[in-house]
Amino acid sequence: MPDQNRIRNFSIIAHIDHGKTTLSDRLLEMTGTISSRERRDQLLDGMDLEREKGITIKAKAVRMDYRASDGEIYELNLIDCPGHVDFTYEVSRALAACEGAILVVDASQGIEAQTLANVYLALENDLTIIPVLNKIDLPGAEPDHVAQEVEDVLGLPKDEVLMASAKAGTGVPEILEAIVERVPPPVGNHDRPLRALIFDSHYDPYKGVIAYVRVVEGSLTSGAKILLMGTLVQADTLELGAFRPTMTPLAELSTGEVGYIATGLKEVGDCQVGDTVTLAAAPAEQPLAGYRPAKPMVFAGLYPVDSNAYIDLREALEKLKLNDAALSFAPETSAALGFGFRCGFLGLLHMEIVRERLEREYNLDLLITAPSVEYQVLQTDGEILLVDNPSEMPEIAKIASIEEPVMHISVIAPTRYIGTIMDLVTTKRGAFETMEYLDPQRVLLKYRIPLAEIVVDFYDQLKSRTQGYASLDYTLAGYQEADLVKLDILVNTTAVDALSLIVHRDFAYANGRTLVEKLRKLIPRQMFEVPIQAAIGNKVIARETIKAMRKDVLSKCYGGDITRKRKLLEKQKEGKRRMKMVGNVEIPQEAFMAILSLNDD
Amino acid sequence: MPAMNTLELRAASTAELRIAAPAGVRHLYIHIPFCHRRCAYCDFNTYANMDDRMEAYVDALCRELAGLRTPADLPPRALTRPAETSSAALLRADLRPTIFLGGGTPSMLPLPLIERVLAAADALISLTGAEVTVEANPGTVLGREYLRDLRGLGVNRLSMGVQSLHDPTLRVLGRIHTAAEARASYADAMRAGFENINLDFIFGLPGQHIQQWEATLREITTWEAAHFSLYSLILEESTPLYAQVVGGRVSVPDDDVTGEMYERAIELLGAAGYTQYEISNWARADHLEPPPQAAVGSRLALPVRACHHNLAYWLNADYLAAGAGAHGHIFPQRYADVLGIDDYISKVRAGQAPIAEITELSKRDLYAETMLMGLRLNIGVSYAHFRDRCGAELAEVYASELQELTALGLLDCDTLGVRLTERGRLLGNQVFERFV
Repeated sequence: MPDQNRIRNFSIIAHIDHGKTTLSDRLLEMTGTISSRERRDQLLDGMDLEREKGITIKAKAVRMDYRASDGEIYELNLIDCPGHVDFTYEVSRALAACEGAILVVDASQGIEAQTLANVYLALENDLTIIPVLNKIDLPGAEPDHVAQEVEDVLGLPKDEVLMASAKAGTGVPEILEAIVERVPPPVGNHDRPLRALIFDSHYDPYKGVIAYVRVVEGSLTSGAKILLMGTLVQADTLELGAFRPTMTPLAELSTGEVGYIATGLKEVGDCQVGDTVTLAAAPAEQPLAGYRPAKPMVFAGLYPVDSNAYIDLREALEKLKLNDAALSFAPETSAALGFGFRCGFLGLLHMEIVRERLEREYNLDLLITAPSVEYQVLQTDGEILLVDNPSEMPEIAKIASIEEPVMHISVIAPTRYIGTIMDLVTTKRGAFETMEYLDPQRVLLKYRIPLAEIVVDFYDQLKSRTQGYASLDYTLAGYQEADLVKLDILVNTTAVDALSLIVHRDFAYANGRTLVEKLRKLIPRQMFEVPIQAAIGNKVIARETIKAMRKDVLSKCYGGDITRKRKLLEKQKEGKRRMKMVGNVEIPQEAFMAILSLNDD
Repeated sequence: MPAMNTLELRAASTAELRIAAPAGVRHLYIHIPFCHRRCAYCDFNTYANMDDRMEAYVDALCRELAGLRTPADLPPRALTRPAETSSAALLRADLRPTIFLGGGTPSMLPLPLIERVLAAADALISLTGAEVTVEANPGTVLGREYLRDLRGLGVNRLSMGVQSLHDPTLRVLGRIHTAAEARASYADAMRAGFENINLDFIFGLPGQHIQQWEATLREITTWEAAHFSLYSLILEESTPLYAQVVGGRVSVPDDDVTGEMYERAIELLGAAGYTQYEISNWARADHLEPPPQAAVGSRLALPVRACHHNLAYWLNADYLAAGAGAHGHIFPQRYADVLGIDDYISKVRAGQAPIAEITELSKRDLYAETMLMGLRLNIGVSYAHFRDRCGAELAEVYASELQELTALGLLDCDTLGVRLTERGRLLGNQVFERFV
């Protein structure tokens, strides 16, 4: 059993691209956990998608042995946590498993909205924060200015701020020392009944669900029967151990330690992040605080382009679900798109990741409808209906009122963009709450805004209107009544259910107008004229017409061209296969996402 | 498939590869890749400023042609028309043998070099009785003497790239001639004894509008040319014009306008006595063959001035090819020679076949190519032609496609075969893609 006083559990929190992954790699190298030769670039981001998007999706935990300047060997557990707002809950659970956090701030960019949000999460969990300014060797670095900002905004004394360049390796030994000196050792009581916090999990085809745990109290030995206190599921401890950085079996995990448990469970949903592991034979009285089942916030229909691939899509979703407790799905049928699934996601990024994984790892051609949120509809008969698909909205006469989810958002941006951001938020039905100057040049703005407005294109708009300077964070504020209507889109006089959307009455006309214009450009000319209409109930509020295709013919084809032209035609035909026939109109995939870019021009 | 119909690629010795042409192949394409200047819209295999290679290129060409042997011991295919194929069936067998010198600008070659090329071609396909076409640029100073001597060498058809009668447009296209020079060259060619002259024009050109195109059509229909090829401009990605259009520096009429231009061409050429026999080709109708008994209306007949060489392509016949970048077709293979002039010359000098690529075609490819080429013709694809070429029944292979396209009004089907409707001709790609 390791000496509890020589354990340090910490996490690294940072805004995207501020250098978290590079710093993690340096720590692993300098403690000899991996050699730089065997180091794959960015070891902690294992999934291709993570590497491409530069974000960490699944938290991971690595154990390092570090000989400090006091001559003692310490067990350092680095718990990696996701850096995107969609995963705030996962971040909070990863932080709850630590006593300290390294806060990485880019020395030229300064504090961002996410930095702030993560620091608040860390403070809520009583973590000791070690501020580190990274990339100090870059030409644009302003370490003094940013250190002052850290002191003013976060209240962390600037003489405690460490300077580093993770890329060059400078400042990293000081960070390791600071972890030992400043982060307190874990305090749990080894003699109490086992309570271990699950902060992540993954599915292994041989060992079942692997739970990533932090033992808060008591200890666990291999072979013991465990109980998950939130889901009340029992499981075996097939194996336990630590990541060094690969899975290394151990005989025991004791108080303060971080490691894994192979449970043999078949689905990560049984073993959710935030749940408490205890011994089935000698359970703890109370679970650890903070458990919350994953709750999807954004919904969209996923349909196979080729309707024969429905079963494949179901199997792929089932497999993804094994590893992703936040993903929900249920079969749905669309008159336009056929059989598919209504899927729930934590947020837009989560949705994008799931879609890409389905397409890449399972080779599926997918059509995804515009994302929606979950509305609470009070019907005239007094019944409350939850609607996450616009096409299921009851008819107007049956609706007494509709409530929609609203969010608190925080935006940090240079002061010169205040006007621009105000404009954007107003067009998105946002309400101003507070404004706070972080320094003379930067401001923190807080608003209340309907989630439905954020899921569409808010983030992209915010980024483009502020030249990329603004950063965003959001949390659910609750439900609020709004004057919402269902906007239907008719293609060739037939309502296409997958194109329906819920909008505020005041914006219905403008949205309808833009959407039909957009669709006119996105839907290719057909062999006949195609009217595109937007309607509320029976009332058409906007109309565009796609003219019939007039000419499409290769004017020349001679001896040298034949096979080349045939291949060209094959390609053109292949392109059409990716379109969906709705009635007798070919609609390309982008059309179903047109709503996402309603305010592009 | 009898062995004589396949292309044999034989390695006779270590470095020697050669194409042995089967008997009965009666069409030969020869590529002359030289140009004074590359036109802004052209993506053919052509090269400017390489005129000093002409002599060496012709040496190589003659050597390649000598290697494309036709075994002499097999009887030529019967040219008599069986009674039951009174329509376009077995039309391939009715075609005259053809030799086509394309480019590039073959008319840049001095006469002695053309003479050598034709002599080498004659050993494969007799010039006597053949349609022998040379492409000519009205801007290469043709001269009456050159033209007369060319005619004397056995060339009996000229294809001239006029493209436009609007000088500013000709400059945008990078053509080296003016409209006046084109008119003069055409008149010279007539006087030199060429009766069978094709003139190429392009519509949908930068800045062109309907009235201007109409004026061009009205003028050229008075020239009494035997044949016209009118092409809607194709913007090929690798060309300067494409870059200019994409970059917004030059604008071209949209598909609605070019569709109308096309319809004006059909109308005005028809009124002037020309028969459209392919999507972009018209021939003077005054020498029409009497329509075959079984044919429904004269649209099922081909005008005698139709280009037999191109008909061979559209009827998906076998043909030989020689020269840099030239493509040949001996089912089930298509082959292409290397593109570069110097590469071509050095390969042939080294005793190798200058072949860059051989594509194997499946039966399915044969069906598709027979359809997408054959449907370009106004006579369409007859069941007999498809059966003769593919050894399968058109109505069986493409039953659902025929039904769908007929329902869409893009295709006409009758007891003889299938062909594009007028609307189908404008939307040809929509039809062709159903067959690939």
